Amino acid sequence: MSFTDEILCTKSHEYITKQGANSGEYAIGLTDYAIDQLGDIVFLELPEIGDKFEKGSAFANIESVKAASEIYMPISGEITEVNTALVDAPESLNEDCWGNGWLVKIRPTADEKTETSELLTYTDYKEELE
Amino acid sequence: MVKETYLHDKHVKLGAKMVDFAGWHMPVQYTSIIDEHKTVRETVGLFDVSHMGEVFISGKDATKFLNKIVPQDIAKLDYEKAVYCQLPNLNGGLIDDLIIYKLGIEYYLVICNASRIDEDLNWIVRNKRGLDVKIDNQSHNYSLLAVQGPKAIDLVKKMGYDIEGQKSFTIKPAVIEGIKLLASRTGYTGEDGFELLVENEYSEFLWDKILEKGQEYGIKPIGLGARDTLRLEAALHLYGNDLDENTTPIEAGLSWSVPKDKKVDYNGKNVILQQALNGVEKKLVGLVMLDKNIARHGYDIYFKGEKVGIVTSGCVSPSTGKNIALAYVKNNKEICIGATVQVMIREKLHDAQIVKRPFVEKRNHV
Repeated sequence: MSFTDEILCTKSHEYITKQGANSGEYAIGLTDYAIDQLGDIVFLELPEIGDKFEKGSAFANIESVKAASEIYMPISGEITEVNTALVDAPESLNEDCWGNGWLVKIRPTADEKTETSELLTYTDYKEELE
Repeated sequence: MVKETYLHDKHVKLGAKMVDFAGWHMPVQYTSIIDEHKTVRETVGLFDVSHMGEVFISGKDATKFLNKIVPQDIAKLDYEKAVYCQLPNLNGGLIDDLIIYKLGIEYYLVICNASRIDEDLNWIVRNKRGLDVKIDNQSHNYSLLAVQGPKAIDLVKKMGYDIEGQKSFTIKPAVIEGIKLLASRTGYTGEDGFELLVENEYSEFLWDKILEKGQEYGIKPIGLGARDTLRLEAALHLYGNDLDENTTPIEAGLSWSVPKDKKVDYNGKNVILQQALNGVEKKLVGLVMLDKNIARHGYDIYFKGEKVGIVTSGCVSPSTGKNIALAYVKNNKEICIGATVQVMIREKLHDAQIVKRPFVEKRNHV
């Protein structure tokens, strides 16, 4: 199994991946397509632990040399962990947006099953892009 | 219908990310904006800027005509010299900014922004009444290739052009790799280099030759993304961001380019000279952010709790690592170089310091 077999994606180019079967937590990141489109990443602003966001709401900001963009919640959740190392070195997202490129971890706060069922597998996501 | 330059297929083959810019399908980056930017600062880069407009002005009254439409004194322009000009409306606001080259007696080349060529032509045609002047838009027949960076001169020499004696801001007919072209020692990067005006049919050959001969210097093709960060570090204005029809050259910090002793009338002269003498309400400044946030076009600027201006261009400066911006602020003595202002970014105020422009040392004064 590769990393992308276990992720679910949004049409706005975020992904989530479950953190172990029993933890109940998800990591959220941006897809390789999103990073490629943004180009050189130079700034990242992440929320605080304990912040809560609804599915589809903006929870973080990312900027490349050219432009500023918002990052949206794939499912509703409460922030449990923040990748502060990325805030200090946002350019590392250009190298790896998967394993070490997670932005935040969350605990779902709504009906996880319903919300995740609306997301796309990586294969379907790639097809949508074409 | 989006236009393509003669080099469009080259860009696609090189793997460029293409974007629509001013009605043209142009390369924004080939590999990375930061990498391309550094290539131009450290060695040499090649740009396709064929989207820019080329208009030839000739006829008995060509000088008189140009003198009526720009604040600069075209009568004082020597043969083969270039001058940075603005095209003001009757209120002194800018329809475009231009480079005017004197190619011969009553014979000039005007290079203008791709995004403004229609507006420029409308305006200048309206100003030619009663004058013996021919306005010949040749934009569709010419390609423009810019070779920029500390190794640009070596490269052009290597390609067979003896640049002996050709100074900055001059243009000369040249033969490079057997191709007749116009070689202008100008650019939009703050680096030394040439802009080569060539007939479309030779542009692909020239593009390939420049990349081939430039290999030993580590040349790379450079997209519009790095062109923007390079010009911003050099604090060169971008029309549409830092200049528009409601901004005069004096407000834009271009007083240095406006002669105060030009006798003949030109469009907007009253307003422009009055401002040069009595000062302006708003002025262009350079900003450096004091935290990691990046000021972008359109963000508001505050000073002592009051909104005093707006950011017109901003980015990360790849050469310095600082977050830099150009902005218009109220012309108030306290809002000066060294002062701290705040930029509203995502509903929070972030400190920025007003600094001298340019943000990097320019190396194109020869």
